[in-house]
Amino acid sequence: MAYLPLANILHHKLRTALSVLGIGIGICMLVTLTGLTRGSLFDSATRWEQIDADLLIYPDVWDKDVVTMAGVGVEDKLGQNILARHGDLVERVVPVFLWRLEMAGQVHLSAGVDAADWSMLTRLEAPGDGRLFAPRASWKQYKLDLEKRQFPAGRPEEAAIETDRPGDLEEYGWTEMVIDSRLARAGKYRVGQFVTTANHRWKIVGIAPAGGMARIYLPRQIAQHLFGNSEALSTMFFVKLRPGVDAETARRALAAPRVQVAPISQYRSALKEKWGVMFLYVDAVNALALLIAFLFIMITLHTMVLERTREIAILKANGAGAFFLVRQVLAESFLLTTSGTAVGLALSAAARWAINTYRPLLTVTIEWQWIVTAAAAGAAGALLSAMYPAWRAARVDMTEALTFE
Amino acid sequence: MSDTNAANPLVSARGLCKGYGKGRARVEVLRGLDLHVNKGEFLAVMGPSGCGKSTLLHVLGLMTAPDAGSVCFDGVAAPARAGGRTAIRRDRIGFVFQRFNLIGVLSARANVAISLRVRGRRDDGLAGELFERLGLSEVAARKPGQLSIGEQQRVAVVRALAHRPDLLLADEPTGNLDSANATGLLDVFREINRQGQTIVMITHSPEAAQAAGRIVCMRDGKLFDHNP
Ligand SMILES: Nc1ncnc2c1ncn2[C@@H]1O[C@H](COP(=O)(O)OP(=O)(O)OP(=O)(O)O)[C@@H](O)[C@H]1O
Ligand SMILES: [Mg+2]
Repeated sequence: MAYLPLANILHHKLRTALSVLGIGIGICMLVTLTGLTRGSLFDSATRWEQIDADLLIYPDVWDKDVVTMAGVGVEDKLGQNILARHGDLVERVVPVFLWRLEMAGQVHLSAGVDAADWSMLTRLEAPGDGRLFAPRASWKQYKLDLEKRQFPAGRPEEAAIETDRPGDLEEYGWTEMVIDSRLARAGKYRVGQFVTTANHRWKIVGIAPAGGMARIYLPRQIAQHLFGNSEALSTMFFVKLRPGVDAETARRALAAPRVQVAPISQYRSALKEKWGVMFLYVDAVNALALLIAFLFIMITLHTMVLERTREIAILKANGAGAFFLVRQVLAESFLLTTSGTAVGLALSAAARWAINTYRPLLTVTIEWQWIVTAAAAGAAGALLSAMYPAWRAARVDMTEALTFE
Repeated sequence: MSDTNAANPLVSARGLCKGYGKGRARVEVLRGLDLHVNKGEFLAVMGPSGCGKSTLLHVLGLMTAPDAGSVCFDGVAAPARAGGRTAIRRDRIGFVFQRFNLIGVLSARANVAISLRVRGRRDDGLAGELFERLGLSEVAARKPGQLSIGEQQRVAVVRALAHRPDLLLADEPTGNLDSANATGLLDVFREINRQGQTIVMITHSPEAAQAAGRIVCMRDGKLFDHNP
């Protein structure tokens, strides 16, 4: 084989392996870091954007904090009013009660939603595994039973809180929850299993494929009852408009005192705004990773050309012109960076697999954009860092390089 | 002087001066050297070690510029532009280095092949023929590090000849060969010389020098006709 760049690469096996690995790690760092930070941060935005709704209605005091919103916020009555008054624009108004629950060592957004509305948040008919929580009928039954009991005074819901005994809610099948498959994997949860969180025992009745708005779904009125001290207040509404209705027109029409009406995309922009500073750090780290990968390529290629001084002088003595010599150096650096990039992408895929398997709650989105950036950075690194050495190579003094060793 | 027969020179050097180093450490190696090598000539250059024979060959091979004096190749002054000199090295000269200078990562055969590729020549079978004649067929697939010194030297000769250069510059090509191998090599040289290729060969061996048509000696940075 007389293809010198390849011969050199195959001959210096350890050096080649180390360079390729070094470049690969740099590229893997870039791809995985960006994929992990952006992926994990924007995963929730992506999941919100798939909700089958057009507008959000939430208390205006939350403003940009929509991403951390939970608890009571809007009167359920408002939702009914909107539907009654703007039936021409609005198809559905779905109240959702948001709360944060700790499961599998992490706090998750959980959505209290009526069983009939669940598919709006997930675009699923039913959980793939198990079933959706019990229908609202049991809630009515519970209240009826509650009223039959003898309580000294007060409204039934207050009484319920006072008299909630462990097992009370279970009897009615209300402490049921549906979780998503990633949470299930992270906590090794199975359908039918009981978990304790927020001082209540819950039965996992269904596991839905990941991708829906929340990781945990609760029966809305139970969530309101347990965490909101009220059965008349939700956190926000999701509004689905009638086909063909312009979102902006509807947004203005639905405006009401003390609430904000915003497109669903508001969630992502609020997220960006909230974490903007953090992205600065993340991007700085990424830039550093890129720089290190770049420097590594430069140093590798530079030493490579220094090593090649004698070889280049030999080629020159045999009549090789500057173009031929530069091509040798560029080809070798290109081979190194190409295999480095390939290794980097393979490592990224492996890292992604490992993260998905062992840390299912983290999201790595390896985007083409970053792969292309990494590959382009590698190629640019190869070209730039080989340029000077290649130029030097073409100027090697033959007599000097070939007389002494 | 050595330009008695300067009718049709392929290379001619006039007033060559070349030294190394600076200031007190400077050594003048070539001191106003003249040399004319005719087309089709086989010239042997002898002289004590360190007298500057290799330096002269590098200058004649257009690999380094003299400090003073001029080199003409085929009647034309060696181009000042590096590209012009490269073209002559590429197309018309074959060089056997005293230290062979084979490329370590390539096999013997690939060393010859890349030299052909650099020169834009196709392998017309001469390389294989030379490998055979010089007893290298068995070892052609090995890398230089796995060859004996004498084998490396012969590979260097094949590389210098495979593109049929007009001028062969050989720096002690028999220096590491036993007499049988040396004879075989010199037979090849004589044969290509008969076919019209010009040869300048540096040697320490009087027997090897006998193969040449003319012998010059180097002393004090100049060349003298050899008087046996
Ligand atoms: N690049 C260099 N830098 C400094 N001095 C050099 C250099 N090359 C050669 N010399 C010196 O120039 C002188 C001539 O060297 P050269 O190699 O031409 O001798 P030579 O006649 O070929 O010797 P030998 O028969 O031992 O090969 C020597 O004294 C050597 O030390
Ligand atoms: Mg010498």
